[in-house]
Amino acid sequence: MNPTNPSTAASGPGSGKTASFLNARAYQTVKRGVMATFEDGRDQSAGYQPKARVTERYRIIGFISSGTYGRVYKAVSRTSNSEGIAVVRTSSGLTPTSNSGPAPIEVAIKKFKPDKEGEQVSYTGISQSAIREMSLCSELRHPNVIRLVEIILEDKCIFMVFEYAEHDLLQIIHHHTQQPRHPIPPATVKSIMFQLLNGCQYLHTNWVLHRDLKPANIMVTSGGEVKIGDLGLARRFDKPLHSLFSGDKVVVTIWYRAPELILGSYHYTPAIDMWAVGCIFAELLSLRPIFKGEEAKMDSKKTVPFQRNQMHKIAEIVGLPTKDRWPLLPSMPEYSQLNTLSTMQHNTHSHHHHHHQNPPNRGYPPSSHLEKWYYNTINNNSGAGSAASGPNGQPALQSLGAEGYRLLAGLLEYDPEKRLTAAQSLQHEFFSTGDRVSSNCFEGIKVEYPHRRVSQDDNDIRTSSLPGTKRSGLPDDTLLRPAKRMKE
Amino acid sequence: MSANYWESTQKRYWLFTKDELALMRQKLEDENPEIVRMFPLPQPRHLAIYFNQQLLRLGKRLTIRQQAMATAQVYLKRFYTRVEIRRTNPYLVITTAIYLACKMEESPQHIRLIVTEARQLWQDFIGLDTSKIGECEFFLISEMSSQLIVYQPYRSLLALRNEFALVDEDVQLAKSIINDHYMTDLPFLCSPHTVALVAILLALVLRPNSSVPGQNSSGAAAAGLAAAQAALSQAHSARSGQGGILAEIPSTPEVKERHQENRITRVQHFAAWLAESDVDIAAMVDATQEIISFYECYEQYNDKFTREQINRFVKARNLDK
Repeated sequence: MNPTNPSTAASGPGSGKTASFLNARAYQTVKRGVMATFEDGRDQSAGYQPKARVTERYRIIGFISSGTYGRVYKAVSRTSNSEGIAVVRTSSGLTPTSNSGPAPIEVAIKKFKPDKEGEQVSYTGISQSAIREMSLCSELRHPNVIRLVEIILEDKCIFMVFEYAEHDLLQIIHHHTQQPRHPIPPATVKSIMFQLLNGCQYLHTNWVLHRDLKPANIMVTSGGEVKIGDLGLARRFDKPLHSLFSGDKVVVTIWYRAPELILGSYHYTPAIDMWAVGCIFAELLSLRPIFKGEEAKMDSKKTVPFQRNQMHKIAEIVGLPTKDRWPLLPSMPEYSQLNTLSTMQHNTHSHHHHHHQNPPNRGYPPSSHLEKWYYNTINNNSGAGSAASGPNGQPALQSLGAEGYRLLAGLLEYDPEKRLTAAQSLQHEFFSTGDRVSSNCFEGIKVEYPHRRVSQDDNDIRTSSLPGTKRSGLPDDTLLRPAKRMKE
Repeated sequence: MSANYWESTQKRYWLFTKDELALMRQKLEDENPEIVRMFPLPQPRHLAIYFNQQLLRLGKRLTIRQQAMATAQVYLKRFYTRVEIRRTNPYLVITTAIYLACKMEESPQHIRLIVTEARQLWQDFIGLDTSKIGECEFFLISEMSSQLIVYQPYRSLLALRNEFALVDEDVQLAKSIINDHYMTDLPFLCSPHTVALVAILLALVLRPNSSVPGQNSSGAAAAGLAAAQAALSQAHSARSGQGGILAEIPSTPEVKERHQENRITRVQHFAAWLAESDVDIAAMVDATQEIISFYECYEQYNDKFTREQINRFVKARNLDK
């Protein structure tokens, strides 16, 4: 194949960083013309030619977010296709609208960061994680999993086009923490949980682990549909040729990390996603992360540290794990760390009402405090004022009742083998008690959630590349600040 | 989906009828009349044999696992239903298919290592520049519409192993038949479990002759085909209630030795199992025929001739540059 690639960043008019993505349409049109002259006389067997171009198919609205993987833009499909370029690829079955269709659809375009940045990007081979995400997203089809519209490979970059979701759980939770702080309505919590579990069940029955469930990755459409997003860390677990542990050692944002992972387990199971779902459930109730540990950073030798503080946060609420409740606990690689954890707490914490307990548990509740935590949360409604009350003056969340506690406790179960599975959770009495669970989590509520922040001044899809925020260390309050932007 | 073949993109987008497949290929040739005329190629099955052998050569150098090799084979086949061979450098496509399949099957190989090894094999066709592989990877993924998850018959084979009391030798033979099916169109024509069942059936009827048919005796293949077809028609009529499944299976002349009788019993069991199942028996009959006729075709394969034809267009069209 011929190396000639007329579409490198530096080749067209407005080369370099000046061509903004918003204005790229005109640019693309010019470039297209230039290319066309070129292509006609050229042997078609020459270098890779994309079948579609992002800017021909979509009008970019602006920039949404960035991470180590790259950047996400909001865009709408172009409907009046005067250029007549966007050929519908029938084989993929993914094309959202016909070219003449009246309604442009909104999408989120994830642009993978090229491995090497700079003017001269060359083909270096696609990362394994991108291959995973591309292949998995192409297969998945479920109402509670974000839908891939198409993938465009262009200019040595990968663009994954997803259906657009106006909200995510992080943003919704944040909205409720605004003064006056007010709880998420119980019917909304129930609907969100049911849809989230439904998506999880789909992933798990299809042998996919998400591995990074957290509020920021759970999308909600304006129609109240919950969609699991960002499968950037997802893996198949049906036939790993290598241990799932090898390769990427640190997985799942620390606050949502299952205890078996903290204790060094080599085996990922769907149970790690279920722990995260439990954490998300708790967060929907209390509006703050239930186990908000501080991440121990990797040391200079690149060894993975024991996440002592995270384990401590978990133990503070659910107590330390015991052999009785979790028989395989002693076989965990970091099991010995639990003792040092107790000692540390023993030294640093007052233990006035624990002094009758056996020594290893000193400093932690002898049994789980989760029930207490739950009832405090639903009764106080996070200290909210009148807005917290239901129609009869009761705190609104009280209607979630004991069933809510049992679901939460089942998800935040130490022993991964005893932890509720997605399928079991869907059958849980929590969903069969009380009002019918709606498939629209916003049904019956008046709250208008703020729309996703889309920034206008950083949208050069071709050249911009941010130093990525560290994926697992991403602070969950990013929403409080305008999305990070850097002038280049 | 990932573990669900029935929902998979493989089932939805990469399963064709023979006619559809022929039409797609015809279309590629029609779109490229000039080069098709200038560069005649051996028959498609012989091309497939050649590609398969080249793929295996590189796989062997890199000690790549069976699963990844099988996936690479499918990538190669899918790609060439969308792109005219004469527009490509097949050696580059083969190398890239392996590179991509290894990542997909969770046993990645470094791009530089792959290029180095490929260059050892095809010095005149593969340069040192790894970005060629990277570019070709875009080409492959794009032509395959990013549908990269491939279901293989090996899993079904292992899952059914106990059901049919297969011993190691049976499994080995069935595996080599599965390996061979990548040289046919069967990966496009039927589901992986159908292929696995056909491989098991052929293993049952061909053993203890115990060699891959076609490679030495077409007589064995013919006898095998007859026995296999008998078993299938038996299963079919049993399912439609037209006869007892334990009725005598037409036996091959040499049914004397005890292991031969054992074999017949196992074939009967297979037929009975099949009659009870939902498996598409007609598809199995077709697939059996396809494999057997492939083995016959294999005997006319001429490696040197095929290689020359391919290398000629690659060189003449500067596709290696």
